[in-house]
Amino acid sequence: MSARQGLRLFGLLLLPLLFGVLAVGGVLFLRQGGFAPYRIPRDSQRTVAVDPAILARGEYLAHVGNCAACHTTRGGVAFAGGRAFKTDAGTLYSTNLTPTRDRGIGDWSADEFAHAMRNGVSRDGVLYPVFPYAHFAGLADADLDALYAYLHSLPATASTIPANRLDFPANWRPILIGWRMLYYRPVASAPATPPTAPDERGRYLVDALGHCAMCHSARGPRGSLPAEGYLAGGSIPGVGWYAPPLDRRQLDRYSVAQLADYLRYGTSDQGSAYGPMAEVIYDGLRVLSADDAVAMAGYLKTIAEHAQPPAQPASTEAPPADTVVAVDGRAVYKRACADCHGADGEGKPGVYPPLRGAVAITAPDPLNAVRMVLYGGLPITSQGNPRPHSMPPFVQHLSSAEIAAVVNLLRHDWGGRPSDLRAADIEAMHGIEID
Amino acid sequence: MSKSLHAIVVAGLLLFASAANAGDALDERLAACAACHGAHGEGVSGSEYVPHLAGKPAGYLFEQLQGFREGRRVNAQMTWLVQFADDAYLHEIADYYAALPARTRAADTGAAELTAARRATAEQLVQHGDPARTLPACSECHGSNLAGLEPGVPALVGLPAEYVIAQFGNWRDGIRKGAAPDCMHEVATRIAPEDIRAIAVWLSQQSNADAQRPAAAGSFTPPLACGSLPHAEPAP
Repeated sequence: MSARQGLRLFGLLLLPLLFGVLAVGGVLFLRQGGFAPYRIPRDSQRTVAVDPAILARGEYLAHVGNCAACHTTRGGVAFAGGRAFKTDAGTLYSTNLTPTRDRGIGDWSADEFAHAMRNGVSRDGVLYPVFPYAHFAGLADADLDALYAYLHSLPATASTIPANRLDFPANWRPILIGWRMLYYRPVASAPATPPTAPDERGRYLVDALGHCAMCHSARGPRGSLPAEGYLAGGSIPGVGWYAPPLDRRQLDRYSVAQLADYLRYGTSDQGSAYGPMAEVIYDGLRVLSADDAVAMAGYLKTIAEHAQPPAQPASTEAPPADTVVAVDGRAVYKRACADCHGADGEGKPGVYPPLRGAVAITAPDPLNAVRMVLYGGLPITSQGNPRPHSMPPFVQHLSSAEIAAVVNLLRHDWGGRPSDLRAADIEAMHGIEID
Repeated sequence: MSKSLHAIVVAGLLLFASAANAGDALDERLAACAACHGAHGEGVSGSEYVPHLAGKPAGYLFEQLQGFREGRRVNAQMTWLVQFADDAYLHEIADYYAALPARTRAADTGAAELTAARRATAEQLVQHGDPARTLPACSECHGSNLAGLEPGVPALVGLPAEYVIAQFGNWRDGIRKGAAPDCMHEVATRIAPEDIRAIAVWLSQQSNADAQRPAAAGSFTPPLACGSLPHAEPAP
């Protein structure tokens, strides 16, 4: 083949391919928002009015939006960042939200702050999608300004935040543009002022500010946001908990008032928050006004049941017959559980939660139920429950086979879930993640 | 009403009030604690690691609970349980265990017997320290009977040996942190590792069967500065 023929072949085959790739890339680039997200309004001169009412609202929003929980280390200065987040691609550390000029937001304009919140791009580059900008994109202008004013009123706190430890290619920040082209589709629906009608308010608090779907929806491959399965539940990476679906199947047993209690106080006649949800409430939702708690609860109660519960995470393959649990779950229940939770799983109102139909018992994934039995728990202290009753850990007192048997029994009899946990499954759920 | 009768009535009312409080029983709320620390905070026989709580100074117990919550002490199960509890409840829990009879299980949890020489070394260090290493005696801060000192110094008798050894390791490595100045970090870095084991085993063999409470605040003055607790000023 001569050089001329080669060039012709190139023209005929490769150039169209190249144009095709560019065209698809261009379309995907436009669909992730085009160039607009990358234009950072650093030089904006717009200032935000600051008065006590605005600061108080900013503080309220920062709590309900749970900024402090992610941007604070255990025992560290609130909002000063540095908390570790384990993902499939490695460990990230949250940033400093105090107005220090060194790695904080001290130099940021109000518009730059709002831009980062809504677009996930800051002066430091594209932000990793552990930051819920897809949700904060729906925040009202007035609320973003109040948040900015509040964060800028905090003491500037220098902090030494470890560098992210991510695998290639996630450690190369510009690759996030590719991630956005594949998975991120901005929705332009931000109101100027936050909604006040209860149903819209509830949706706003759940979807935009509360970013509930960050945990309560499963993630797709490479941390992608799922196109469907809104609040359908999912495993939370790196912490060993399962966020249950927030639909009618799970929440029907809660009245709106009970669910509002749960959100504000971490406890209700139907059960208490534990694991990461306890943290969300303790650090955040405890400040909810009665009206906002009812609005969130009312909205959550409208979410239709998901037709197909997401596939149960692979338990184990069919085990050899000789490892099948040969323990009587009923005897274990009578000995270890019935004193508090009642012979029929009815619980004691206001003291011990019912187990019959409880979320941990009916959820698609048995993880939470097992972890509660293993390590017990103490519901959060709150205005509605200042002296909570604890549940003892059973990890030293029950064998893995006994725990498997009793959880299988509860999920089958009172949860309507086939459950065939083995001792080995229980052992795989051992371990407490404390950061 | 005479003054003494008045006092008796008041005392009676106070007793009644505390009994009523006990009716709203904290012990039922603290089933999670009892699972490892015993129904009365006395520790669990055969436990190799978990310390008793009963009768330790409330200030000390609160400091530890807060430490687990905020990362100054590291034990995953403890942090798991107390991480979302506020100061008011942690104070109440600390007060509850502090008020229980200061009793420990017969303490030896199967630790290896000490040779006579090691036993002598341990007793020497516990009761007299080691001036060559500017190491104070345990008893100078924890009391001659090692039952502790209000409001912040715990009893040392009846602790499982493995627990004491682990604490010394954590103090040395800065995993367990007291309020500055962190006296136990200082102490832990001055003791030879082999002596830590001897002291821990020796302590684990001292029970508190006669239920001695921590000495009253101010009844003696420890030589080391520990957080904001009272201590002797260094000689000029």
